[in-house]
Amino acid sequence: MATTTASISIGSDIMSYPVNINKTMTMKKLASCHGIEETSGLSNKKFTATTAVVLVLNTEGTAAKASKVYMRNTGSDKANFFYVSLNASAAASATAETIGRLHGGDWMLVPWAATAASHNIVVAPNTAEPMTIEWMVFVE
Amino acid sequence: MATTTASVSISSTDLQPGNRLSINASNRLMKTGLTTGLELMEMGNASIPVGTEFSLAEALGTADSANWVYICNTSTDDTYNTEVVINETVLGYLNAGEWLWMPWNNGDAAAEIEVQAIGGTNTLEYAIFKSAWTLPTAS
Repeated sequence: MATTTASISIGSDIMSYPVNINKTMTMKKLASCHGIEETSGLSNKKFTATTAVVLVLNTEGTAAKASKVYMRNTGSDKANFFYVSLNASAAASATAETIGRLHGGDWMLVPWAATAASHNIVVAPNTAEPMTIEWMVFVE
Repeated sequence: MATTTASVSISSTDLQPGNRLSINASNRLMKTGLTTGLELMEMGNASIPVGTEFSLAEALGTADSANWVYICNTSTDDTYNTEVVINETVLGYLNAGEWLWMPWNNGDAAAEIEVQAIGGTNTLEYAIFKSAWTLPTAS
């Protein structure tokens, strides 16, 4: 059994008192004490067009299990971003379920149900300027 | 201007034999496409019993904007997990002790974040960082 840990640290001065969130998790299989044992490995891709692309096919995971997906826009320009959505195809911004935007430097780590083609993970750049995304799937 | 930073560290010595995994990333939360930080947030914790889908965050902000969501399932029973849904589309399952960090588009009024407990009453803590926030009209 593999052991994969992920730690998050969020610090903010939005409130009148400091906000500090620190949490470490071990990535486990669904409803189990056993760790996730498979991964896609860390990948990256450079985009130079706004065409939406399926980055992760649902077939890379197992339906209705506890896979996880990490993604990061490796750029630094906050004006440029990737839409990230759950989708079968087409533009991430207009169809199926848009999760959100990853602007330059932004990252996300989410659970992923991989239920069907409607749960492919699609990204769509907002610009044709070169932009790179890196991702890794932790697969159950 | 507020400053909010989110950092992650992912590591494993045995997930990829012969290739120690170590990912580190950090980002500062900005308003949509700007260089000013997000200035609105809400935090809380919730206990959700089995059998009902609850709305954790309603999409009451500006559509297609920069918002961030942290949810942690603080339950300790390994047989418990929480289904996380965006607008009726299942995103995934948070086991006991697991967390998520994601951008939230607020794409339309229906793009609320819903949670449903599986296995038993789950406890969640959450923090939502927002570009805009319209409180519900009083009834």
